[in-house]
Amino acid sequence: MTSMVGLFLVLAVLIIIPAADYVFAAGDEPGEYVDRRVLIWNLFFRMMTVAFTVGAVVSGTMIWLVWRFRESHPKATPTPYEKEGVW
Amino acid sequence: MGGHSNWPEWIYIGIVIALMTWVGAEAWNVERLVEHIPADAEVIKVTGQQWFWSFEHEDGTKEIGELHVEAGKAYKFEIYSKDVNHSFNIHDYVVLMDAVPGRVNTVWFAPDKAGEHDIQCREYCGLIHYNMRGKLIVEEPSS
Repeated sequence: MTSMVGLFLVLAVLIIIPAADYVFAAGDEPGEYVDRRVLIWNLFFRMMTVAFTVGAVVSGTMIWLVWRFRESHPKATPTPYEKEGVW
Repeated sequence: MGGHSNWPEWIYIGIVIALMTWVGAEAWNVERLVEHIPADAEVIKVTGQQWFWSFEHEDGTKEIGELHVEAGKAYKFEIYSKDVNHSFNIHDYVVLMDAVPGRVNTVWFAPDKAGEHDIQCREYCGLIHYNMRGKLIVEEPSS
Protein backbone atom coordinates (compact mmCIF):
# COMPACT_ATOMS: atom_id res chain seq x y z
CA MET A 1 0.00 0.00 0.00
CA THR A 2 2.83 2.37 0.90
CA SER A 3 4.43 1.79 -2.47
CA MET A 4 1.14 2.60 -4.20
CA VAL A 5 0.95 5.90 -2.33
CA GLY A 6 4.50 6.47 -3.50
CA LEU A 7 3.55 5.72 -7.10
CA PHE A 8 0.68 8.21 -7.00
CA LEU A 9 2.90 10.81 -5.35
CA VAL A 10 5.45 10.44 -8.13
CA LEU A 11 2.72 10.69 -10.78
CA ALA A 12 1.25 13.72 -9.06
CA VAL A 13 4.58 15.49 -8.93
CA LEU A 14 5.46 14.61 -12.51
CA ILE A 15 2.17 15.24 -14.29
CA ILE A 16 -0.91 16.16 -12.30
CA ILE A 17 0.41 19.13 -10.30
CA PRO A 18 2.23 20.77 -13.28
CA ALA A 19 -0.90 20.31 -15.44
CA ALA A 20 -3.15 21.93 -12.84
CA ASP A 21 -0.64 24.73 -12.29
CA TYR A 22 -0.43 25.33 -16.04
CA VAL A 23 -4.20 25.66 -16.30
CA PHE A 24 -4.65 27.97 -13.33
CA ALA A 25 -1.82 30.21 -14.49
CA ALA A 26 -3.17 30.62 -18.02
CA GLY A 27 -5.55 33.20 -19.40
CA ASP A 28 -5.48 35.69 -16.55
CA GLU A 29 -4.05 38.52 -18.61
CA PRO A 30 -6.79 40.54 -20.31
CA GLY A 31 -7.76 40.05 -23.90
CA GLU A 32 -4.80 38.85 -25.91
CA TYR A 33 -5.31 38.56 -29.65
CA VAL A 34 -4.94 34.83 -30.18
CA ASP A 35 -5.13 32.97 -33.44
CA ARG A 36 -7.87 30.46 -32.79
CA ARG A 37 -6.93 28.49 -35.90
CA VAL A 38 -3.49 27.78 -34.46
CA LEU A 39 -4.72 27.04 -30.93
CA ILE A 40 -7.59 24.80 -31.97
CA TRP A 41 -5.76 22.84 -34.67
CA ASN A 42 -2.69 22.40 -32.47
CA LEU A 43 -4.89 21.06 -29.69
CA PHE A 44 -6.50 18.72 -32.19
CA PHE A 45 -3.13 17.39 -33.40
CA ARG A 46 -1.84 16.93 -29.84
CA MET A 47 -5.00 15.06 -28.86
CA MET A 48 -4.80 12.90 -31.97
CA THR A 49 -1.16 12.05 -31.17
CA VAL A 50 -2.20 10.96 -27.68
CA ALA A 51 -5.21 9.05 -29.00
CA PHE A 52 -3.23 7.13 -31.62
CA THR A 53 -0.36 6.40 -29.22
CA VAL A 54 -2.72 5.10 -26.53
CA GLY A 55 -4.65 3.18 -29.18
CA ALA A 56 -1.48 1.55 -30.48
CA VAL A 57 -0.26 0.60 -26.98
CA VAL A 58 -3.64 -0.80 -25.88
CA SER A 59 -4.31 -2.75 -29.05
CA GLY A 60 -0.69 -3.94 -29.19
CA THR A 61 -0.95 -5.19 -25.59
CA MET A 62 -4.20 -7.01 -26.36
CA ILE A 63 -2.80 -8.63 -29.49
CA TRP A 64 0.33 -9.73 -27.58
CA LEU A 65 -1.79 -11.09 -24.69
CA VAL A 66 -3.95 -13.16 -27.01
CA TRP A 67 -0.89 -14.43 -28.91
CA ARG A 68 1.21 -15.22 -25.84
CA PHE A 69 -1.45 -16.83 -23.63
CA ARG A 70 -3.15 -18.99 -26.21
CA GLU A 71 -3.36 -22.65 -25.27
CA SER A 72 -1.19 -23.71 -28.20
CA HIS A 73 1.72 -21.42 -27.29
CA PRO A 74 4.91 -23.51 -26.76
CA LYS A 75 5.48 -22.01 -23.33
CA ALA A 76 1.84 -22.19 -22.21
CA THR A 77 1.45 -23.43 -18.64
CA PRO A 78 -1.71 -23.65 -16.59
CA THR A 79 -2.14 -20.95 -13.99
CA PRO A 80 -1.92 -22.07 -10.35
CA TYR A 81 -5.71 -21.85 -10.12
CA GLU A 82 -6.21 -24.02 -13.18
CA LYS A 83 -3.64 -26.54 -11.98
CA GLU A 84 -5.32 -26.94 -8.60
CA GLY A 85 -8.81 -26.65 -10.02
CA VAL A 86 -9.63 -24.22 -7.21
CA TRP A 87 -10.74 -20.65 -7.77
CA MET B 1 -5.44 -15.43 -4.52
CA GLY B 2 -2.28 -15.52 -2.39
CA GLY B 3 0.81 -14.12 -4.02
CA HIS B 4 -1.17 -12.43 -6.77
CA SER B 5 0.25 -9.03 -7.53
CA ASN B 6 -1.99 -6.20 -8.64
CA TRP B 7 0.82 -3.75 -9.39
CA PRO B 8 0.15 -3.66 -13.12
CA GLU B 9 -3.46 -2.67 -12.47
CA TRP B 10 -2.40 0.22 -10.24
CA ILE B 11 0.19 1.39 -12.73
CA TYR B 12 -2.46 1.23 -15.46
CA ILE B 13 -4.92 3.26 -13.35
CA GLY B 14 -2.22 5.80 -12.54
CA ILE B 15 -1.29 6.25 -16.20
CA VAL B 16 -4.95 6.62 -17.21
CA ILE B 17 -5.57 9.24 -14.50
CA ALA B 18 -2.42 11.14 -15.48
CA LEU B 19 -3.32 11.06 -19.19
CA MET B 20 -6.89 12.19 -18.58
CA THR B 21 -5.67 15.01 -16.36
CA TRP B 22 -3.23 16.15 -19.03
CA VAL B 23 -5.85 15.96 -21.81
CA GLY B 24 -8.37 17.85 -19.67
CA ALA B 25 -5.84 20.52 -18.68
CA GLU B 26 -4.72 21.10 -22.27
CA ALA B 27 -8.28 21.33 -23.60
CA TRP B 28 -9.42 23.56 -20.74
CA ASN B 29 -6.48 25.88 -21.23
CA VAL B 30 -7.08 26.27 -24.96
CA GLU B 31 -10.78 26.85 -24.33
CA ARG B 32 -10.00 29.59 -21.81
CA LEU B 33 -7.64 31.32 -24.24
CA VAL B 34 -10.04 31.01 -27.17
CA GLU B 35 -13.00 32.32 -25.17
CA HIS B 36 -11.07 35.24 -23.68
CA ILE B 37 -12.53 38.22 -25.56
CA PRO B 38 -10.18 41.21 -25.91
CA ALA B 39 -11.52 44.38 -24.29
CA ASP B 40 -11.31 46.38 -27.53
CA ALA B 41 -13.22 43.88 -29.67
CA GLU B 42 -15.85 45.48 -31.89
CA VAL B 43 -19.29 43.97 -31.42
CA ILE B 44 -21.07 42.73 -34.53
CA LYS B 45 -24.64 41.49 -34.20
CA VAL B 46 -25.16 38.45 -36.39
CA THR B 47 -28.71 37.35 -37.12
CA GLY B 48 -29.56 34.07 -38.77
CA GLN B 49 -32.92 33.49 -40.38
CA GLN B 50 -34.22 31.25 -43.11
CA TRP B 51 -32.09 31.42 -45.18
CA PHE B 52 -29.58 34.23 -44.91
CA TRP B 53 -27.27 36.02 -42.52
CA SER B 54 -27.50 39.70 -41.63
CA PHE B 55 -24.93 41.75 -39.74
CA GLU B 56 -25.06 44.96 -37.74
CA HIS B 57 -21.87 46.81 -36.83
CA GLU B 58 -21.40 48.94 -33.71
CA ASP B 59 -21.92 52.15 -35.71
CA GLY B 60 -25.29 50.89 -36.98
CA THR B 61 -24.10 49.85 -40.45
CA LYS B 62 -26.07 46.86 -41.65
CA GLU B 63 -25.06 44.23 -44.16
CA ILE B 64 -26.84 41.23 -45.61
CA GLY B 65 -24.97 38.18 -46.86
CA GLU B 66 -21.64 39.99 -46.71
CA LEU B 67 -19.54 41.06 -43.79
CA HIS B 68 -16.73 43.61 -44.11
CA VAL B 69 -14.09 43.66 -41.39
CA GLU B 70 -10.52 44.92 -41.09
CA ALA B 71 -7.42 42.83 -40.63
CA GLY B 72 -5.65 43.24 -37.30
CA LYS B 73 -8.79 44.04 -35.30
CA ALA B 74 -10.76 41.85 -32.95
CA TYR B 75 -14.46 41.27 -33.47
CA LYS B 76 -16.99 39.83 -31.09
CA PHE B 77 -20.03 38.28 -32.72
CA GLU B 78 -23.33 38.34 -30.86
CA ILE B 79 -25.33 35.67 -32.58
CA TYR B 80 -29.12 35.71 -32.75
CA SER B 81 -31.72 33.66 -34.58
CA LYS B 82 -35.11 34.87 -35.73
CA ASP B 83 -36.71 31.50 -36.40
CA VAL B 84 -35.03 28.12 -36.02
CA ASN B 85 -31.61 26.91 -34.93
CA HIS B 86 -28.75 27.90 -37.22
CA SER B 87 -25.01 27.74 -36.75
CA PHE B 88 -22.69 30.57 -37.74
CA ASN B 89 -19.50 29.26 -39.26
CA ILE B 90 -16.44 30.90 -40.80
CA HIS B 91 -14.53 27.78 -41.64
CA ASP B 92 -11.21 29.42 -42.50
CA TYR B 93 -11.02 31.09 -39.09
CA VAL B 94 -12.45 28.15 -37.10
CA VAL B 95 -15.41 30.24 -35.94
CA LEU B 96 -18.45 28.12 -35.16
CA MET B 97 -21.35 29.02 -32.90
CA ASP B 98 -25.02 28.07 -32.80
CA ALA B 99 -27.71 30.67 -33.37
CA VAL B 100 -30.60 29.71 -31.12
CA PRO B 101 -33.94 31.57 -30.94
CA GLY B 102 -34.25 33.43 -27.62
CA ARG B 103 -30.52 33.23 -26.83
CA VAL B 104 -27.49 35.38 -27.56
CA ASN B 105 -24.35 33.34 -28.14
CA THR B 106 -20.97 34.98 -28.50
CA VAL B 107 -17.75 34.09 -30.26
CA TRP B 108 -14.80 36.26 -31.27
CA PHE B 109 -11.99 36.26 -33.77
CA ALA B 110 -9.22 38.51 -35.04
CA PRO B 111 -8.58 38.24 -38.79
CA ASP B 112 -4.89 38.69 -39.58
CA LYS B 113 -4.81 39.01 -43.39
CA ALA B 114 -6.93 40.64 -46.06
CA GLY B 115 -8.98 38.21 -48.12
CA GLU B 116 -12.33 36.61 -48.75
CA HIS B 117 -13.74 33.72 -46.78
CA ASP B 118 -16.95 31.72 -46.80
CA ILE B 119 -19.62 32.04 -44.18
CA GLN B 120 -21.95 29.08 -43.94
CA CYS B 121 -24.83 27.78 -41.85
CA ARG B 122 -23.74 24.54 -40.17
CA GLU B 123 -27.03 23.46 -38.60
CA TYR B 124 -29.69 22.02 -40.84
CA CYS B 125 -32.35 24.73 -40.83
CA GLY B 126 -34.75 23.85 -43.61
CA LEU B 127 -35.09 23.46 -47.33
CA ILE B 128 -32.49 26.00 -48.45
CA HIS B 129 -30.03 25.41 -45.61
CA TYR B 130 -27.41 24.32 -48.13
CA ASN B 131 -27.45 27.78 -49.65
CA MET B 132 -27.48 29.81 -46.45
CA ARG B 133 -24.08 31.21 -47.22
CA GLY B 134 -22.33 34.52 -46.87
CA LYS B 135 -19.01 36.13 -47.61
CA LEU B 136 -16.51 37.47 -45.10
CA ILE B 137 -14.42 40.21 -46.66
CA VAL B 138 -11.34 41.09 -44.66
CA GLU B 139 -9.95 44.44 -45.76
CA GLU B 140 -6.57 46.06 -45.16
CA PRO B 141 -6.48 48.15 -41.98
CA SER B 142 -7.79 51.69 -42.62
CA SER B 143 -5.35 53.40 -40.29
